[in-house]
Formats: sequence, structure tokens, C-alpha cells
Amino acid sequence: MAETNQPTLARRATALYGAVALVSLIGLADSIYLTVEHVSGRSVRCTIVSGCSEVLSSPYATVRGIPLAAIGAIAYFIVFSLATLAAFGYKGVGKLLPLIVAAMFLTTLWLLYLQAFVIGHFCQFCLLSALVTTTLMGLVIAALRAKVGNLATD
Amino acid sequence: MRLFGDSDLAHNYMKRALPLVIIAAVLGAGLLTAWYLQRSTAETPAPPPTTNASPSQNAASRSNQAEPGAEPPHALGSSNAPVTLEEFGDFECPPCGMLHPILKNLEGEFGPAKLRIIFREFPLVPAHAHALAAARAAEAAGLQGKFWEMHDMIYENQKAWHEAFDVRLIFEGYATKIGLDLEQFRRDNTNEIVEQRIFLDGKRAHSLGVKGTPTVFLNGREVPFESLAPDKLKALINSELAARP
Repeated sequence: MAETNQPTLARRATALYGAVALVSLIGLADSIYLTVEHVSGRSVRCTIVSGCSEVLSSPYATVRGIPLAAIGAIAYFIVFSLATLAAFGYKGVGKLLPLIVAAMFLTTLWLLYLQAFVIGHFCQFCLLSALVTTTLMGLVIAALRAKVGNLATD
Repeated sequence: MRLFGDSDLAHNYMKRALPLVIIAAVLGAGLLTAWYLQRSTAETPAPPPTTNASPSQNAASRSNQAEPGAEPPHALGSSNAPVTLEEFGDFECPPCGMLHPILKNLEGEFGPAKLRIIFREFPLVPAHAHALAAARAAEAAGLQGKFWEMHDMIYENQKAWHEAFDVRLIFEGYATKIGLDLEQFRRDNTNEIVEQRIFLDGKRAHSLGVKGTPTVFLNGREVPFESLAPDKLKALINSELAARP
């Protein structure tokens, strides 16, 4: 039974890491767009449609002068790189990935709280990023479970 | 046999290198996308030239064809000043609040003979709950000849009233501070002239294609948002002055 499960679980973990890499690309594209909007000042200006301008012009949109979206883009790129390496069988990277995704997920919860209760406006691009990070969290947990199951059958 | 081993080695090497190639490709694509987006945002949309007129003549004609806005406009500086800066602003918009001290400095630096500053109302309703009340308060103060005093008061205290539930009493406090007749101010808040001025400025904004605030026109040409930084704006005014001795 164990012999038949082992390759299936390993394949499942590989597929899940592949999915993590693909989903993180959505987050990467979203945060690159937001970074450019922020740097160019387009979204920082107030527009008739409320939401992004309020969120991106708030003091929470930057950390020591660095746009939060740029930090997000770097984080998504790191997740993409680690997931790609893990999917191709690189050892060790699978351990770092859950830590980074968990940190991103916690940051996302904090940002959702800020949008809902402090800024009072939601930005659809920030909500997309929250959805991506939550999906990544789910996929990484599933990949971890597949890996643990694989080790248990060894 | 040896050949077979070499092929396995090459296959393994390829398998190890492939993810690195993918990562590098994504990094390159990401940087290219950022560069492309940045470039397309930096380019300001210009009206297609229909005649052999210079860009500034084209801009001036576009400005002339637009709705005139409330007359007379709220303006600081001489009507003969070589440079006219027209701002479409919303008193509740944080970037407009940030632009306010920049324009005050430029006004002092260039003086009324060189620079004329016009303020146009463009309250972003319903995005900003108190923007219309603030515009009304400024216009009502204008009916007593103190538009700019109220304009400055509202912008300088933006953070104080932005979060308030009812701003009426706050604005009445400002009216008292700048020496307005309070009863008159209260009545003028719902005055038809006040409503009409805000409406006419809004019409002008729409006819010029204004989508957000602050939007600034310098001698009829829209200044890109990223050029509203003090040094860039100053350089633009200087180049306009140099072009019109």
C-alpha cells in the first residue's frame, strides 16, 4: 500500500508546488501594476471612484518610503522562485516556502483589517492580492501534507 | 554505455538548469512589464495636432473651447501674468491638501505679476463625504469676499474635519475665525449662486477631461500628476516664463 502511495504523494506535492508557482504569478502581476501606479502617482491622486486612491494615498501604503506593493512584488517573486525550485525537486526550499507564505498571509490579514477599520475603503487590486495569498496558503499547506504523507510512507 | 551515461548527465543538467531559466525569464518579463507600464503612464495624452500651431497654442485653444467655469474665477495674481496655473481641487482629497502648501510657496516665490493661480471646485462626490460641504463653505465665504481665507483654513485643517461626522459646526467655526458674518455664511451655504459656481466649475472640469484631483493646468496644458512635486512644478513655471518674456 505504502509503495503505491509514495509516488502518488510525491507527484501530488510537485503538482501543488507548480500550482503555487502559477498562482504567485497572478500576485506578482498585480503587485507590479500597483507599484507602477504608486510610483507614477496615478492612483495616489483622488478619483471619482473611491477605493484604490484612498488606500494607496494612505500612510499605510509605504514602509519607510518604500511602496508596500513593491515589497509585495518581491515577496511574490521569491515565492514563485522557491515553488519552481521545489517543483523541480530542489531539496530544502520546501521548508522556507511555508514560512514566507505564512508571513505574507499574516500581513494580508493586517492589511485587510486596515482597509476595513482604519482607512474605511477597499482597493480591488489589494483584495485580489489577499485572495492570491490566501490561495497560496491553502496550496502550501496541502503541499506540506502531501510531503509529510510521503515521508511517513518511506 | 559511456555515451548513455553522458546523455543521462546532460538530461540531469538540463533538469537542474530548467527552473533557473524559468525564474530568470519571469524576472526579465516582470522588469520589462514594469518598464512598459511606467513608460505608458509617464506619457501624457496630448490632443492630436490639427493645425501647424505650436503645442502651447493647441493647448490654449483646447482650453478656450472648454466650458468657461464659474465667472469670475477665484484667482490670485494679475490677469496679465504670463503664467496661469489653474487647479481643479477637492478640499477632502489628501493629495490636494499636500499640493496646497506647494502652491502657496510658488505664489510667494513668483509673485502676482508673474503667476496667476486659479482654483476650481471639483468635489469628488460620493467618494468624499464632506467634499461638497467644504466646497459650499469656501464658495459661501467667497460671497463675503473671503474665499481664499476659507480655502486656506479648510485645506490646512483637512485632517481635523475629514473624520468628523458633521462638519457644519467646524466650518462655521472657521467662518467666525476669518471674520465672516455667521448668519450670512449659514444662509449662503444653500445659496443658488454657490451651487451654480460649483456646478459650472464641474462642467469646465468635465469639458477638459478632468478625472481626478488635484488636476493642474499650466497655461492651458495639463501638468502630469508626477510633475506636481515642488521642484518640477517650479521648473515648468520657469520654462513658461522663459518662453514668454
